Amino acid sequence: MKMISTLLITVLYTVFVQNLVMSAGLGMSEAIRLAAKPEKFRSLAIMISAFSVITGTICGALSRIPAIATLPFAGRAAVYGGVLAAVYLIAALLLGLLKPQDRRLRGTLGIAALNTLVYAVPFLNEFAAYSFAESFFSGLAAGAAFVLAAAVIGRGAKLLASNSNIPAIFRGSPALFLYVGLVSLGFLGFSGTALFQ
Amino acid sequence: MKEQTPSFRDLYLKSAVLSNPVLVQMVGLCPAVAATASVRCAVLISAALSLDLIVTCVLASVLMKRIPRAVRVALYLGIGLALLCPLLYFIETRTLMNLGQGTKVYLPLLAVNAVTALHCEKVAVKKPVRMAFLDAAAVSLGASIIFLIVGTLREVLGSGAFAGIDLDLPFTLKGLSLPFGCFILFGFLAAGLQAISPYLRQAQEEEPDAPAAQPQEADPQDDLWSDILEAEAASSERLAALDEFTERLIGGEEDAQ
Repeated sequence: MKMISTLLITVLYTVFVQNLVMSAGLGMSEAIRLAAKPEKFRSLAIMISAFSVITGTICGALSRIPAIATLPFAGRAAVYGGVLAAVYLIAALLLGLLKPQDRRLRGTLGIAALNTLVYAVPFLNEFAAYSFAESFFSGLAAGAAFVLAAAVIGRGAKLLASNSNIPAIFRGSPALFLYVGLVSLGFLGFSGTALFQ
Repeated sequence: MKEQTPSFRDLYLKSAVLSNPVLVQMVGLCPAVAATASVRCAVLISAALSLDLIVTCVLASVLMKRIPRAVRVALYLGIGLALLCPLLYFIETRTLMNLGQGTKVYLPLLAVNAVTALHCEKVAVKKPVRMAFLDAAAVSLGASIIFLIVGTLREVLGSGAFAGIDLDLPFTLKGLSLPFGCFILFGFLAAGLQAISPYLRQAQEEEPDAPAAQPQEADPQDDLWSDILEAEAASSERLAALDEFTERLIGGEEDAQ
């Protein structure tokens, strides 16, 4: 029971308190780009979660090897990046071998695998000293956090586009930046950070 | 027929100002948001991004034109890691610069930033080396200027200091040091850019030696970055609409007079 509650807390913490997209800007460019395409959310969430889980788990296992654990931070970063590149190439190879209609997935594979959100997951697991199970659920939650952020941005962008009261110079990216800033402030509320003391 | 290479000034105006990677194309937001809370970090991140972007684009233009796209994208990550990890190691071990945990993590994360992949795929693998170099230099300059402006504003207004020197300000806006403050700053900077863009475009068009705008080569296989290209096209449409709006406004004022 205690383990289930720990894992649930890990997921809730990653999705809401430490929503990597909203609170750290990780994968923000991709979230904004895909916000207007809700039909891609499901496949992208699965792919981001899968890449986060696989990369995070392999990197977690590697970081327990003394030769890698004693490397300076830059060395570990290179190892984690190498793991991510290898996982991506294997996935691209496997998708290339699938039937032709599934090959369209390869278009979004690069965006799903090679983004700052997925690459940051092994570092976060390391800093938080997550166990194997916690790393697994943290990877899953990273995908959920991405979809939540993309959905919130997408909905806001739609409302902003239909709002004719916005001054001309604020239409488009300026309004979207301000909206994302306010949503990010909302997520900050989950962390209990005090802005005025 | 030999393709006419635009001057660095024209490229800079187009790639770094009118299509600014951060404010208009909305790419490279991760390092911009998370690692520009101070001027020192902004300088470091700008230098690292420029190094990564220029070297990767030049190598992509020289060596990667015949390599499949899926492999190329992984190679951009490999080149980024080969440049940024030794840089991080050098800074950590050979200098007295104390990087915060945030900057330490974000430096290697630059290897997967969208700016590099986008410009390698959009320009470097389709154009000659000189053009790839000039485009990368212009884009990195455009991104660096935004990083430095935002880094300065966030440190001065958010922490009441500049490059670590306390300015003893009567008040600070702590929120600007946090990511949401950075997004809000971006919003105002993007609005400012949108306001001056029509004048810059007009100045560029009036330039007697300015080469005619070349239509972008369309690659039917290009699906990886099609979303960004669409966003860029939408942004150009917005700028055109803004031009029209300004002209109508000026016309209306003239009529009233």
